Amino acid sequence: MVKVKICAGSHCSLVGALNILETLEELQKEYPDQIQIERVECLDKCEDIKKAPVVKVDDELITSAQNQIVISKVMERIK
Amino acid sequence: MSKLKGIYTDIVKIRRMVFAELAGLALKDAKCEEFDKIPYRIIDTEEATYRSSIFKERAIVAARVRMGLGMDYEINQEHKLLSEGIRDFLNNDNQLKEPLVNVIRFACEKCPTNAHFVTNNCRKCLAHPCSIVCPVDAVSIEEHAAVIDQEKCINCGKCKEACPYEAIVNYERPCAAACGVGAIESDDYNRARINQNKCVSCGQCIIACPFGAIADKSMIYQLLKSINRGEDVRAIIAPSFVGQFGPLVSAEKIVAALKKLGMKEVREVSLGADFASLHEAELFAEDVPEEQPYLGTSCCPSWTYIADKHVPEVRENISESSSPMIFAAQSVKENNQDSKVVFIGPCVSKKLEALSKKVKDEVDFVITFEELAAIFVAADIELTKVDAEEEINDASYYGRAYANAGGVAEAIRQNLKEKYEIDPPITKADGLADCKKTLMKAKAGVLEGHLIEGMACEGGCVGGPGTLLATNRGAKNVSKFADQSPYKFAFENDKLNETDK
Ligand code: SF4
Ligand code: SF4
Ligand code: FES
Repeated sequence: MVKVKICAGSHCSLVGALNILETLEELQKEYPDQIQIERVECLDKCEDIKKAPVVKVDDELITSAQNQIVISKVMERIK
Repeated sequence: MSKLKGIYTDIVKIRRMVFAELAGLALKDAKCEEFDKIPYRIIDTEEATYRSSIFKERAIVAARVRMGLGMDYEINQEHKLLSEGIRDFLNNDNQLKEPLVNVIRFACEKCPTNAHFVTNNCRKCLAHPCSIVCPVDAVSIEEHAAVIDQEKCINCGKCKEACPYEAIVNYERPCAAACGVGAIESDDYNRARINQNKCVSCGQCIIACPFGAIADKSMIYQLLKSINRGEDVRAIIAPSFVGQFGPLVSAEKIVAALKKLGMKEVREVSLGADFASLHEAELFAEDVPEEQPYLGTSCCPSWTYIADKHVPEVRENISESSSPMIFAAQSVKENNQDSKVVFIGPCVSKKLEALSKKVKDEVDFVITFEELAAIFVAADIELTKVDAEEEINDASYYGRAYANAGGVAEAIRQNLKEKYEIDPPITKADGLADCKKTLMKAKAGVLEGHLIEGMACEGGCVGGPGTLLATNRGAKNVSKFADQSPYKFAFENDKLNETDK
């Protein structure tokens, strides 16, 4: 089971976290038992907005996250 | 709906970064010179990422800064620093003026207008049905593939349908395709130009342009300066707001965050929607069909502008009853005459409505959810961590459901059924093109006795260009929030005066 934490704080939401969340939810439909998504409060990594959005895939912290990067990290772990 | 609606792209990112920068400078009461730095902060690479040159990228950001302040985007032909123009503007009247929606001309990449092209899917097959079905003999079979003579082509699409390899595509100019009232033309250089006699300021083209060449003006700066001056600013927030700021941010948290920003009070515009739905039900019951043949709803400004500019014959049958925004603002100002009211919503054309003579004393500022999200970031207000205090309970189920397509007509219909025992036929126009078509039908006399709802944005207000969420997600949130209302019908709402019910 891959655990993904998506920051849903003000900074991260402004710069695309919600879109990553949507994409992950779509992916989860394909692998319902292998992906767990948690929306979390501000992870305090956003003092510089260029670091947002922040996503954690298991213990790996991804800053300036984008759909493609997050999805590929998740897929690596599923395969 | 534009394919780009609800997708986070670099265009969206740059737009929001500009808003956040402007908000930051307004909150700091920064000097005009500070604005000159914004293009460099946002485009901080060594080489161009998006365009032919980094200078052009920065010039486009500068144009966005000007419009973000409410100015015309035009950069004068003569040399002038961004900050000089801004100083003039701020020292003068500091007021947003028409046109609201503009093509940044040097950002437009001159997309070809409606045309059929042969892609490299073409196998130059023996049958070549494309050339056989073309009624104007525009398709010829050349050395490697079929070629369409653009001079002859009449865009009938027959070749596209006939090709077994899907090798022919119809290429539309994205901005023009999004504009259901045909307001986008070309200038002498083949760049998009908005014909202001036709434009209804809906903002759909802003979302649709894949080069981010179209933008509207904002009042972020004026709003925040007013708060800074210690003025009594009160917010009214449109029904589509629920969930726009992320899945962890409840309606109550949004209210608390607005207060933290400096608003003295926050009210749901749905309260105004309850008022409007009762008022329009009364109008319908009294006037249709004796005094007027049908009734069009009043809440979407672009819908009423379509009537003004495109089908003026029907204008008198669209309710003058004032929109939920105006009613909500009045209910705030009734008790607080010296206050300023900011409308926060999904809507671009409300910015124009608020400038009109009738409304300008009621609503002082209009900002979008997207602009507000950037303001929260600039003010360092962390929405997930504010403490929600009071509940918000201003409106009925049907008032809150105004934000979804069909919601307006349904609310009025319920009032008509319950109070007047009338159940009228309903026509719903969803999206610009549909609005125009519906008004033409009304003019032709085929909608006699109808209650007609018009929404320029597909899906209703939740599909507005100022939203952050994809339309279907916004719609779900709105329905859920409506279910939580303590009142079902508008006339059950305790917050309305008895005389209004
Ligand atoms: S879609 Fe954008 S770039 Fe293309 S013609 Fe329209 S305004 Fe210009
Ligand atoms: S009517 Fe709407 S889509 Fe058409 S040009 Fe005006 S703002 Fe753009
Ligand atoms: S908002 Fe995501 S880390 Fe702060």
